[in-house]
Amino acid sequence: MGLLTNLRDSISRVTDGLFAADEPKRIGIYGPPNAGKTTLANRIARDWTGDAVGPESHIPHETRRARRKENVEIERNGRKVTIDIVDTPGVTTKVDYKEFLDHDMDKEDAVRRSREATEGVAEAMHWLREDVDGVIYVLDSTTDPFTQVNTMLIGIIESQDLPALILANKTDLPESDVQQIANAFPQHETIPLSALEGENMDEVYTKIAEYFG
Amino acid sequence: MPHQCIECGRTFPDGSKEMLSGCPDCGGNKFQFKPSGASDPSNSASSADPEPTAGSEPAPDFDSSSEARSETAPAGSAGPTDSTDPAGSTDPAGSTDPADQSDPDPADRPSERTVSSDTMESDTTDPVEGDAERIDDEGAEDTAQASARSDVVTPDELDRAARETGSTGVDSESVEPPASQPGVDELRDELNEQFESIRIVSPGQYELNLMELYDRQEYIISLQEDGRYVIEMPDAWGVTDE
Repeated sequence: MGLLTNLRDSISRVTDGLFAADEPKRIGIYGPPNAGKTTLANRIARDWTGDAVGPESHIPHETRRARRKENVEIERNGRKVTIDIVDTPGVTTKVDYKEFLDHDMDKEDAVRRSREATEGVAEAMHWLREDVDGVIYVLDSTTDPFTQVNTMLIGIIESQDLPALILANKTDLPESDVQQIANAFPQHETIPLSALEGENMDEVYTKIAEYFG
Repeated sequence: MPHQCIECGRTFPDGSKEMLSGCPDCGGNKFQFKPSGASDPSNSASSADPEPTAGSEPAPDFDSSSEARSETAPAGSAGPTDSTDPAGSTDPAGSTDPADQSDPDPADRPSERTVSSDTMESDTTDPVEGDAERIDDEGAEDTAQASARSDVVTPDELDRAARETGSTGVDSESVEPPASQPGVDELRDELNEQFESIRIVSPGQYELNLMELYDRQEYIISLQEDGRYVIEMPDAWGVTDE
């Protein structure tokens, strides 16, 4: 069993090496709940493929399963970059059904959503471990970025040596504070944007091509 | 005097190794089995020796087992033709083995079986002996088998086993078991200790250990409200995605 597994791993490493140049990089969109990950994923997918990735909502944990949009071709400065976008569920350390009760949801639905959201976090963490070649980390620039989740996830991404692009989203809101995010992660470049309004998307695409091309 | 050379009449104790290379006196390789008790007439049909004990013997008719053989069996019928007799391998007469029946001490049986594993194949009427025959097929009895046969389950183990069965009996489809149900609470605590990556505070309330989730090789794909998990095993157990 061990011998066969090793053999299979060796073969897959060789074949991975052969086809690595042709295969699109899988880019995970990560971040806490309600940071605007799905809005960004939809924005990117709509801009370059015409399709959407998934439904957006102001209720946290709308995305409870990772959704993938494959072969998104982004053109920048005459260069073409093909990526697979993985929109992941918001990562958090606590899920409580009570936070959904404020959004016109009965208890049964709230409990189910809570359970699915928890499964979603587990899935997102699993993808981070196994299946992504790079990360777009989306933060809500109207909230404090110094959280356990952000620190831990950025730490994991750095320990994995994954290329990471940090986006300060929701710049269309008056309380947006991009500098606060830049201060929190000085080792990374922070790009401001409003995925909802499509503000500064040009720079975002340039950086995507630069980081993941 | 269980075995006797049919050429010169020399007798051997049961299972004597001397017989394995032929009779030391006359070189004969045909032996007849003479049980200590009275012979059972039904055993006259079981004179076949289904499998040679010593592979180098061309016509190994000697019987190292306790299988009974009638003294009246003609030497000719115990020759090479009999060794291929299919009846020999399925002969239920083996169950009436007088040597076994006359054995006063059951503790002696295992050692006896290791010698007679070939012929015991025919013994299908006794479930205990049937089990022992399968064990013998794989070689000598090991300590686990010996312990399983001789040791007795302690009341503690019985109690624990009963509790485990009771816990797993919880219906996994139940959406929300009552919080007051002690069994479910216990199970939830137990699972929380084992799977510290997700702590179920109460139905719909979870605490997640992100590092644990990240470090886990297996992937939790589904949570049950009773505290159970459905996990996907690591790739090593199956086919990879790619």
